[in-house]
Amino acid sequence: MEKTITATKTLDVCGMICPYPDMDTLATLKKMGKGEILEVILDYPLSLERIPRNLTKQGHKLLGTERIDGPKHRMFIEAYGLK
Amino acid sequence: MSLIVLSGLGVGLVFGYALQRGRFCMNSATRDSVLLRDYTLLKAVGVAILVEMIGFALLDVTGIAATAPKPFFWGANLLGSFTFGVGMVLAGACASGLTYRTGEGMVSAMVAAAGLVIGAFYTAGGFMNPIAKTLQESTIIKTAEGGSLTLANILGVPYYLLALGIAIVAIVAWVLLAKPFSLENAAARTKAAKAKGASHGWGWMTTGIVIGLIGIVAFPLSAAAGRNYPLGITDGWIGLVKGIFLGETFGWGTMLIIGIILGALVAALINREFKFRVPTSGVLFQVFIGGLLMGFGAVCSGGCNIGHTLSGLPQLSIGSIVATLAIVAGAWLTSHLIFNVFRKSPAA
Repeated sequence: MEKTITATKTLDVCGMICPYPDMDTLATLKKMGKGEILEVILDYPLSLERIPRNLTKQGHKLLGTERIDGPKHRMFIEAYGLK
Repeated sequence: MSLIVLSGLGVGLVFGYALQRGRFCMNSATRDSVLLRDYTLLKAVGVAILVEMIGFALLDVTGIAATAPKPFFWGANLLGSFTFGVGMVLAGACASGLTYRTGEGMVSAMVAAAGLVIGAFYTAGGFMNPIAKTLQESTIIKTAEGGSLTLANILGVPYYLLALGIAIVAIVAWVLLAKPFSLENAAARTKAAKAKGASHGWGWMTTGIVIGLIGIVAFPLSAAAGRNYPLGITDGWIGLVKGIFLGETFGWGTMLIIGIILGALVAALINREFKFRVPTSGVLFQVFIGGLLMGFGAVCSGGCNIGHTLSGLPQLSIGSIVATLAIVAGAWLTSHLIFNVFRKSPAA
């Protein structure tokens, strides 16, 4: 993971049930400007795979995912600018 | 405990491992298809059903295990399974999903499981029982011989021929229309994810085939233990509670549940995905209510998503087909209301 990534906004969805991590991430991205970066902290394995699958449909770009600890991961996403 | 009842634990261990690696949840499968237009898990469910259809046909024609389709009581199937569909969206998991996630350490799944058990217990034998029983008895439709209605006996063809025919037509149509074998892409994605150190589970094809095969192996073992049915979830949870609080002996279905939880626990530990995860109290309340509705719905309709959709649909039971449609209808309506109508922006 490049250390140069600076998030514009951070969303923590740890402990949330299916499919709130996905829905919250997509809804937050929708409100962000083009090129702004969202950091999502999540610990739900299914969303870890499903969010990247569905991001591209709205034009957003996954910059990277890194493991923090156990199932807890950090994901950086560049917003397409749907605002 | 006899060896054959213990085989439930073995099947459960493998099933739980596969559920966790495949993130196999029918609530996600159903809901994602409308909410996210994501069909990944739905494809896994489809593959599992087709694999079982072929397997059950072979078990039937060889005489290893004759089909045991669930009865068709349209009123109870419609009301129960629709309620189940509403409940599973609120609970954030289907019956198998909340069982494997209990092993993963998700507290929300444990609370949903508690709701399911309470709902199921009081519908199977408690104060909610008259509603379910009356509805079942007043709307049951049987064959002339008093058996369960299936597509095979309505059409008057042998089950194994019809099941094999449907499975082959469905597979050929799927391959021709949808080109489902983009396995290389899936493998490349998994590799890319692993290279970055992020966790990743199985692809949908692997998941579907493995779960279908587990369902086939489960049937004759479960039947030999006196429980003449393939995989199911709700009956095992009821048995677990009866075993703990009323001192009843654990049957095959309950050993299956214990196995699923342990299998998922092992899978999560090996893959560094185990963690106690606690949501807000509001979410815990919501999943508990969801679990209660699921428990009532599953017992009223005679099965949950595993009993009806995974195990009943491949047996071509009319009750299971109607139940599956009702589960999907309840889940779609509730997903739409929660995520598209009431909750357009994330909670602060």
